[in-house]
Amino acid sequence: MDTIDLNFVDDAIERIGRGPEAVIPILQQIQQHYRYLPQTALRHVCAHTDITPASIEGVSSFYTQFRHEPVGEHLIHVCLGTACHVKGAQLVMDSIRQELKIAKGEDTDRDGKFTVQSVACLGCCTLAPVVQIDELTYGGLTPKKVPEMLHDFSAQAIRPAKPAAITAHRSGESIGEIRIGMGSCCVAQGSDKVRSAIESVIAQSGACADVKRVGCVGMCHQTPLVEIVPKSGETSLYAKVQADDVESLVMKHFKPKSLMRRISYSAEKFLDRFLSDDEDEPTIQKSINPREGSVCAFLGPQKHLATEYCGQIDPMNLEEYKRHDGFAGLKKCIEIGDPMKIIEEVQNSGLRGRGGAGFPSGIKWQKVREVAIDQSRGEKKYIICNGDEGDPGAFMDRMLLESFPYRIIEGMAIAAMAVGSNEGYFYVRAEYPLAVKRIREAIKICEQDGILGENILGSDFSLKLGIMEGAGAFVCGEETALLASMQGERGMPHLRPPYPAELGLWKQPTLINNVETYALVPWIMRNGSDAFAALGTEKSKGTKVFALAGKVSRGGLIEVPMGITMRQVIDDVGGGVANGKKLKAVQVGGPSGGCVPASLADTSIDYESLAEVGAIMGSGGLVVLDEDDCMVDIARYFLRFTQDQSCGKCTFCRVGTRRMLDILDRLCEGKGKKGDLDTLERLSHDVSAGSLCGLGKTAPNPVLSMLKYFREEFEAHLDGRCPAGKCVAMIEYKINSKCTGCTICAQECPVDAIPLTPYKIHTIDNDKCTRCDTCLQVCPENAVYVE
Amino acid sequence: MPKLTIDSREVEVEPGETILDAARKLGIHVPTLCYLKGYKASTSCQVCLVKMVDNGRVVPSCGMPAADGMKIESETAEVHALRRTALELLLSDHVGDCLAPCYFACPAHMDIPKMLREIGDEDTAAAIATIKEDIALPAVLGRVCPKPCEKGCRRNSADGPVEVCDLKRSVADRDLASGTPFIPECKTDSGKRVAVVGAGPTGLAAAFHLRCEGHAVKLFEAAEKAGGRLRHEFPVDLPAEVLDGEVDVILEMGIDFAPKTRIGEDLSLDELKQDFDAVLVCSGGDTKDHAKDWGLKISRRGVDINAGTFETGTEKVFAAGNAIRGKGLVVRSVADGKEAAGTINEFLQGKPITPIARPFSSRIGKIPESEMPEFLANGKPIHRLAEPETNPFDLPVAAEHADRCLECGCIAHGNCSLETYAAMYGADPTRYHSERRAYVKVNRSGSVVYEPGKCINCELCIQIASESQDALGLSFVGRGFDVRVGVPFHGTMEDALGSTAEKCIDACPTGALYSARKR
Repeated sequence: MDTIDLNFVDDAIERIGRGPEAVIPILQQIQQHYRYLPQTALRHVCAHTDITPASIEGVSSFYTQFRHEPVGEHLIHVCLGTACHVKGAQLVMDSIRQELKIAKGEDTDRDGKFTVQSVACLGCCTLAPVVQIDELTYGGLTPKKVPEMLHDFSAQAIRPAKPAAITAHRSGESIGEIRIGMGSCCVAQGSDKVRSAIESVIAQSGACADVKRVGCVGMCHQTPLVEIVPKSGETSLYAKVQADDVESLVMKHFKPKSLMRRISYSAEKFLDRFLSDDEDEPTIQKSINPREGSVCAFLGPQKHLATEYCGQIDPMNLEEYKRHDGFAGLKKCIEIGDPMKIIEEVQNSGLRGRGGAGFPSGIKWQKVREVAIDQSRGEKKYIICNGDEGDPGAFMDRMLLESFPYRIIEGMAIAAMAVGSNEGYFYVRAEYPLAVKRIREAIKICEQDGILGENILGSDFSLKLGIMEGAGAFVCGEETALLASMQGERGMPHLRPPYPAELGLWKQPTLINNVETYALVPWIMRNGSDAFAALGTEKSKGTKVFALAGKVSRGGLIEVPMGITMRQVIDDVGGGVANGKKLKAVQVGGPSGGCVPASLADTSIDYESLAEVGAIMGSGGLVVLDEDDCMVDIARYFLRFTQDQSCGKCTFCRVGTRRMLDILDRLCEGKGKKGDLDTLERLSHDVSAGSLCGLGKTAPNPVLSMLKYFREEFEAHLDGRCPAGKCVAMIEYKINSKCTGCTICAQECPVDAIPLTPYKIHTIDNDKCTRCDTCLQVCPENAVYVE
Repeated sequence: MPKLTIDSREVEVEPGETILDAARKLGIHVPTLCYLKGYKASTSCQVCLVKMVDNGRVVPSCGMPAADGMKIESETAEVHALRRTALELLLSDHVGDCLAPCYFACPAHMDIPKMLREIGDEDTAAAIATIKEDIALPAVLGRVCPKPCEKGCRRNSADGPVEVCDLKRSVADRDLASGTPFIPECKTDSGKRVAVVGAGPTGLAAAFHLRCEGHAVKLFEAAEKAGGRLRHEFPVDLPAEVLDGEVDVILEMGIDFAPKTRIGEDLSLDELKQDFDAVLVCSGGDTKDHAKDWGLKISRRGVDINAGTFETGTEKVFAAGNAIRGKGLVVRSVADGKEAAGTINEFLQGKPITPIARPFSSRIGKIPESEMPEFLANGKPIHRLAEPETNPFDLPVAAEHADRCLECGCIAHGNCSLETYAAMYGADPTRYHSERRAYVKVNRSGSVVYEPGKCINCELCIQIASESQDALGLSFVGRGFDVRVGVPFHGTMEDALGSTAEKCIDACPTGALYSARKR
């Protein structure tokens, strides 16, 4: 038994509570503190709380966040989200394991320095493939870049903290703002470094500018993005800015006025420049005009409602939010005073749940409103914001939570008023630390400001909001599983009825809506239901936020009116398929969704049209697939995800999805059997029909839609062929006569499968080859091909 | 009170009752595994699925409240197919043999594991009764049988099979030598008469089993003594006194033995048909030569019969043993005799004849070498006897060697809901065949044993154990496909279940949780 200091556990219990529902937060604290769950600590918890050993065992083995063994000093999370998958995440994973010499079946290297884990999605889809080491995120990786990445991390980890920059007094009034996007993906691309560089340049030079962090701009393909907004004159936008570019950028727009300072600064810098031979002013070429070209195309078809003022306001600045009509919707509702009128407005707007299923929000609200409660008996209504976005390939909720926390709080407050609730919770997945932090802060700021708490904005309406972090279980996005999780149980869904509207959190009537749904409510209240209903199609009103990723030129976070076609999104907003490849299909709705083949690219994006072609709106992941993507592999990818995330309760999901996956595994390994496709199809239908909750019911969707549109590709796999050349068991790398014998491939091959033969045509030993694709990527003559 | 219809039949239920309750009121047998009245419906096994006609939803009936005006479908092909899929999926992840490999290897399908348990308990009276359920001539077979059962024994691939045949012979010899050999109790007189033509192994076995069913049997034999081919095929292995001994036991059951009577010469088949309610032709390998004269159809090998029912196509007339096969093992003949007797019994009772079919069984299949140690731990770690030194074995020696059995068959066989419903719904356990999880026995040295491979995650033991103050409790461990029941903090099953152990074992719908056998 491990001997550890248990004072921390006592403190955590004291802070969090002793009830059975405290189990998850207590375990999270223990995990964070000790980096795993020491048995001694767990027994201690059982001895000093009402939490039972059975509950600890059940909960701690259900959520992926918890570990019973110590982890390495640093945690490497390899994102296996959809976008990362299609861009070769598995190869990156293999390469990391190989580089760290991690044995099969283990996850930590021998020195205990690194532990490697896969993560369903880090929500940085546009930077795919992505790896996170502790707090640092690396994007756009290839197996080849892995050693460089590990080296960089080690260098960063030992680097001492920079001494604070000497601040100079500003030489005059601010003449403008420097806005920098600080969403998680921007940070992953280095915007944090860019920001500190800007701040230090300003501090040292005394430039007259305000630095302002703003939320996600949506143009993830261009990050880090810096916008210069002078008080007078044209706005300039700079894309892909690096810390080194900052100085010239600031100097270009904000030259200090004081001559002395300018001279001394220039002299200093002149010396710097003299010592390094940097090219002059590299950033200037990256300046892009927001009103023309690709940016215009990217932003043109978009309609920002949930993401209103994106890239313009500081997420945490309450005053700024208020200046931009923030809380005007809530005020209006308080003035109306009649909850029924609010619900009517939501109903008239045609708003449907943005979590995936598209249930009319007004009706849901109405149902919760209608349930009678007896407050004298302690009965109450709860309101919950479902931020357990776990679909690989989707990060809308994260971005909304990070960039517009006040807007979501406002939406929840309006909903709470409408249904008659005075207590609510955010349930946000733990993989979104920034979102959790900002919401927590925003709640505190709102409470101080009288927007939350007792007698909101002077009315008799009160609302208390709290936040609960998920612990790593996709299924908790399902509302009954979410409730179980909030009550300190394993996140296992239950049969509906009863619906949460009747028996929800602690058996009380509960309204659960998705983040985006709440984010749309203030706009509707402010602008009226008619304005919202004017957007979109007959049955799908308003806008939808999508995460556009995969093989598309301009990936990012977009908000478009319903009814726009798939083609418009890909071509106009996304700039078409990347690298001149041909569009094969678009995967919509993640693991619950389906794919829309290129031939149906003119399908309108609305709930009904998508369902008709076998996809679903889902939470809004759009992953573009090109001719290089193998559809059997993609189907397997999604099924592997749902199978891994199944709670394990009902037979159809627990065993059924596994058997479906077995068949897909066989197909991808070239071991398919006659009749497999029919069995797969039949089983898919049965799993859909029989599963208990949405996860199982929709898990077969990707398979069914792929079978529907790409059956010939499945049949080819039965014959042992992978037409896209993706399934490693069926392909071989070869080198043709274009080879000049330059030896680059032999040098780069991580497994020495290519003998070094200078000036001769190289060959690949297929027994050694792991199909990592490195040789194909490095060959300057394009002599490597796949067969 | 809510009124609903199930399969178009109306039923009224109390408020709060479920669709399952409603179906039971109508006498509709909806299968359930994870459901137990008085406990929260876990709605996980999904073999109780029904369809709601109005919205097309398929729901577990055990957890779905019955509501007024509901229209439910239960006994339709669509719903049955879904239930069957649920069963097949559970079976695809079921690490267990309902019936041991030796059961299938033995043509007579004797319950070998049961016999071995009884020998292990030194209860030879029980053992001989078990043997004679299926084998009418055990002392004979103990000497002449090529032991297919031992070839099927799992231990065969390790340190040699269990000495099934010698142990059986030992029990049979001891029984014969006792002076009061075991005679099963025969049912009351049915008033029906059966003529059995030929007193070889098939005829003797058939006569034995028909008598047990209460029918009057007249056994016709061309030779002077009963025994047929057993009289001359094994001059060395089978001493006459052993054969005589076992024949006498059978004849003493009140069988009318007519020696030196040849059909076709002394009596015609038509006469038999007139005098008896049924006739079984089992006059050996050369029957084929005469059968045409008797008016029976013949095939390449012998008398032609309807596959699986022993019916010859001539009314009342059945045929079995070498009469239909030309030649075969003695144990096959003994098995035929038993099976034909079963068929004739159905015929005499005026029931439709059910063809002989393999009983349903989940099967683990071949055990990889890596898993052998876990299996071997089920049996006594002693080596097989090369040749029995004394015959019969000394009882303690027999008991010790019977305990070499690896107990492959399931303790819950015949008392397992999964097995019952799988058989009822015609589930194919190999439909979703895939790599299986490892065979593991948890707490094997304790009083309560858990086999995760047979667990269907019904949650009943978890719920029951949580009721008790003295139990540490159980919980689900893991997620998804790997979810299994576990004891917190590495405790034992005894800690986990406390005083609820027996209740949990009773509630287990399969053979996943059971009391360890007392040795």
